[in-house]
Amino acid sequence: MTGRGGAALRGGAALGGLAAVVAAVLTVIVALPFLFILLQAIFPGIGVGSFADPFAALIEVLGSGNLPRAARNTLVMGLGTVAVTAVIAVPLAALRALFRLPGAAFWDILFLVPFMIPPYIATLGWVMTGQPRGYLEQLTGHNIAGLLFSVPGIILILSLHCFPVVYFALSRSFAAVGGRFADVSRVFGASPIVAFGRVTLPLTLPALAASLLLVFAMAIEEYGTPAVLGTRIGFRVLVTGIDEAIGDWPVDLPGASTLALVLVGLATAAFLLQRRLLARGGFETTGSRPAESGRRALGRWRLPVLLAFAAVAFVSTGVPLMAVLATALSRTVSGGLALSNMGLGNFASVFAAGSAARGALLTSLGLGLVAALLTGLLGAVAAFVVLRTQARGRGYVDVVAALPNAAPGVVVALGMILLWNQPWLPVTPYNTLWILVLAYVLLLLPQPVRYTTAALQQIAPSLDDAARICGASELTMARRILLPLVAPHLMVAMLLVFVVAARELVASLLILPVGRQTIATFIWRQFDQGSVGVGMAMAFVTIGLTTLLPLIVLVAARRADALG
Amino acid sequence: MNRLLLAATALAAGLAASVASAEITVYTAGPAKLIEKLTAGFTASTGVKVDVFQATTGKVMARLQAEAANPVADVVISASWGTATSMAKDGLLLAYTSPNAAKVPDFLKTDTAVAEGVSALAIAWNPTSGTPRPADWTDLAKPDFKDLVTLPDPAKSGSMFELVSALDSAMGETIFADLAANGAIVAGANADALNPVLQGAKAAVFGAVDYISLSAKAKGESVEVIFPASGTVVAPRPAMILKSTRHADEAKQFIDYILSEEGQQMVADTYMMPARTDIAAKRPKIDELTLLPLDADKAYGARKETLATFAATFEK
Repeated sequence: MTGRGGAALRGGAALGGLAAVVAAVLTVIVALPFLFILLQAIFPGIGVGSFADPFAALIEVLGSGNLPRAARNTLVMGLGTVAVTAVIAVPLAALRALFRLPGAAFWDILFLVPFMIPPYIATLGWVMTGQPRGYLEQLTGHNIAGLLFSVPGIILILSLHCFPVVYFALSRSFAAVGGRFADVSRVFGASPIVAFGRVTLPLTLPALAASLLLVFAMAIEEYGTPAVLGTRIGFRVLVTGIDEAIGDWPVDLPGASTLALVLVGLATAAFLLQRRLLARGGFETTGSRPAESGRRALGRWRLPVLLAFAAVAFVSTGVPLMAVLATALSRTVSGGLALSNMGLGNFASVFAAGSAARGALLTSLGLGLVAALLTGLLGAVAAFVVLRTQARGRGYVDVVAALPNAAPGVVVALGMILLWNQPWLPVTPYNTLWILVLAYVLLLLPQPVRYTTAALQQIAPSLDDAARICGASELTMARRILLPLVAPHLMVAMLLVFVVAARELVASLLILPVGRQTIATFIWRQFDQGSVGVGMAMAFVTIGLTTLLPLIVLVAARRADALG
Repeated sequence: MNRLLLAATALAAGLAASVASAEITVYTAGPAKLIEKLTAGFTASTGVKVDVFQATTGKVMARLQAEAANPVADVVISASWGTATSMAKDGLLLAYTSPNAAKVPDFLKTDTAVAEGVSALAIAWNPTSGTPRPADWTDLAKPDFKDLVTLPDPAKSGSMFELVSALDSAMGETIFADLAANGAIVAGANADALNPVLQGAKAAVFGAVDYISLSAKAKGESVEVIFPASGTVVAPRPAMILKSTRHADEAKQFIDYILSEEGQQMVADTYMMPARTDIAAKRPKIDELTLLPLDADKAYGARKETLATFAATFEK
C-alpha cells in the first residue's frame, strides 16, 4: 500500500532505524528460509552442500501432466471456499453489527468455536458422522456420504471452518462504519438496500478483501480436509502432492519444494490482485468525529434471523463438536453410540499423571503464546513501516512480510532445517522449541500484517496531522494515536496466531525438537496408530482450552474498554 | 504490554532450558508406545538417556536428508527395509553386528542393519458387516464386497506399495482393476483405510497393517485379521546406526537392548513379529505366513510407474 504523501512520515532517524531493524529481522526469519527452499527446488543435492544437477527436479515437476490439474483443483478449492464463506459470513456479520440481535454475545462465542476446531479434526468428525453407519445413520437411518466425499463437500467443510474469520472481521468493520454513513445516504433519498450496497458494504471492502484473502490462503494450504475427503475421489491438490513427495520413502525434497513455490505463487497472485482492487478509493471511516452506533431493531425479521444464526451454529459448531465428543467417549469405534460403549477411559489416559498429553498441552499453549506476541509485534511494526513512513527499505519489508502467504508448513520446515542446521553456525535454535516459534512466526506473519494494514487504512491521516500539529513526534503519534486505534484489530490477529500456532501440525511434525510433542503431533500419533478415541479426547480438551483462553482475553478487553 | 512480553520471554526461556542434553538421539517410525517403552527400559538398564523423534518413515527420511550437512540422529528405525539398503549404498551407516542378533534369521539382518520386528499386510475384516469371511485377496473383488473395500494409498504406505508390486507380478494387474470396478476406494494413509471399516461404513481393508488391526481387536474393536491364502508381503523394520554418530558405543548398546529378550518382548507386545525366532509372538509368525515373491530392486526401480498406473486404475 503506497503511503499517501500527506499521511506518510518523512521519517526521522528513529523511523529509519526502526525500518532497518524490521528489514533485518524479516530477512533472518522469512527471507533466508525461503532462499533455502528455492535452492532446494533448484539443486536436488543442497542438503549435502552439492550444486549438482541444477533444475533437474524443477523441469521434471513443471513438465509433468499432474501439475496443471493439481493447480486447477487448488484454485477450485480456494475460490469455492472464498465464495461459500462470503455467502455465509457477510449477511451474518451485517445483521450482527447493524441490528439489535438478541443474544449477540452468545452467537459470537458459538461462532468462535468452528475456527478453534482444527480442520483435520472437523473433517474426521464429519466423516464419522456422515459415512454409512456413521453417527447420523445410527441416529436417523440416513447418511450423507455422497455429499461428504465430493468437491462441494470439501469446500463446504472448509467454509464452515473459515467463516468466523470473515464474520468477526466484517462485523467489527460494519460496526465502525455504523449506520452513520448509511444514514447520510438515506437522507439523500437512498433506499435501505441501496444504502447498504452502495455505501456500507463498499466502505468495509478492506476488511472484506483482507479476510477473504486470508480464507483463500487458509483453504489452499489446508492439508487434512482434501487428504481425507479428496483421496477417494481422485481430487488431488498441490498440498496433497507435496505431502505425497515427503509422505513415504523414497522422499522427493526438490519436488516438494517446487510444488510449494507454485502454491506460494498462487497466494501471492491473490494478494497482488487484492491490492490492485483496493488501490482505488479511500476507506477512512475513523475520522476525528466519534462514531455513535445506532443499531436498528429487527422487527418481524427477528425469528427468521435467529433461526438462520442457529442453523449456522448447529452445522458449524454443533455437529463437529458432538462427533468429536462421541468418539472421545466411545470405548470402541465399532461399538457405536450404545450407552454400554460409553466411558471416560480416553479422557483418563489424556490426563493420566506423567502422560505425554499433558506435556504436549503445556508445550503447545506456551509456544502459541510466545508466537502470538512475537508475530503480533513484528507484523504490526512491519505494517506501520510500510504504510505510514517513507523510510528506505519499506518496499522490501512489504514484499518479505507477504511472502509466507499460504506457504505450506512442511516445506517451510524443510527450509528451516536447511538453514538452521548448518554446521558452521555458532548457535542455532534448531532442536530447541525456538525452531517451532520461528516456524510459526514465519507461517503466521501475514495475519497481523493484514489486520494492522486494514486497520491503518481505516484511520484518516487527518488524525496523524492533528497529532503533529500538537507537537507530537512521529513515534509518540504512533504510540498515542495509532496504537490504541489499531490495538483491537491487532489483538484479534494475535489471538488468531495463538490458536493456529497452538494446533499447527504439518511443520511441527517435521521439525519437532527431539523428545518433544505438541498437541497436534500427539493427536496425529494417536490417529496413526489407530487410537482414534484418545486422539479425539485430546482434541476436545484442546478445543475447549483454545476457545476459553481467547474468550477470557476478549472479555477482559471489553471490560477495560467499558471502564476506559 | 511490557509485563506481558517479559512473562512470555521468561516462559519461553524456561521451555528452551528444559531441553535436556541426552546421550543418544533416535529417529523412528511408529508405534509411539513401543519406542517409549524401549527407551525407558534402555535408560533404566544402562543410564544412557535417549531423545526421540517419531514420525512416518517418509518424514523421518525427509528430515535425515535435510539434515545431511550436519546429522543429528545416532540411531534410525524405519518401517521400510529399502531405507536400510539405500542408506548402506550411500555409505551412511555404521557396520555393527549385535551379539543379541544371533537368533535373528539371516534375511532380517545385514552388516549395517537389523530388524527390530516385522509386520505383514493382511485383510482387516469387520465380522459385523454382513459379508462372508474373505479368505483371499480376490474375494474382495466379488459382488459381496461391492462398494465395501478400502485400500491404503501405496504412495503413502511403503508396505502397501510392495504389496501392489508383488501382486502385480503374481496375478497380473487385473486384481486392482477388478477391485476398482467393484467400487473399492483408495482411502489415504493406513489409519484412514482402517477407520471406516471399524465404524462399519466399509467391510474390509485390502492391505491393512496387521499389528495395528490386531491391537484394535485387542481393545475390543470388531475386526478380524486374515492372512490371504495366496500370500502377502512382510515389512521388516530396520534399526541402524548412522556413521556420523558421535556416540557409537551407546548407539550399539541401544541396538543390543532392542534385540535383548526384554526389548523383543516389548516388540511382541505390540502384536508385531519379534525379529528373534526364540521370542514368542502374540500372532502368527513369519514361518506361518505365505509370502509373495518380490524383487525389491526391480519394484523400487519402477515405483513412479507403478504408482501412476495404480492411481489411474482408481481414478473416477
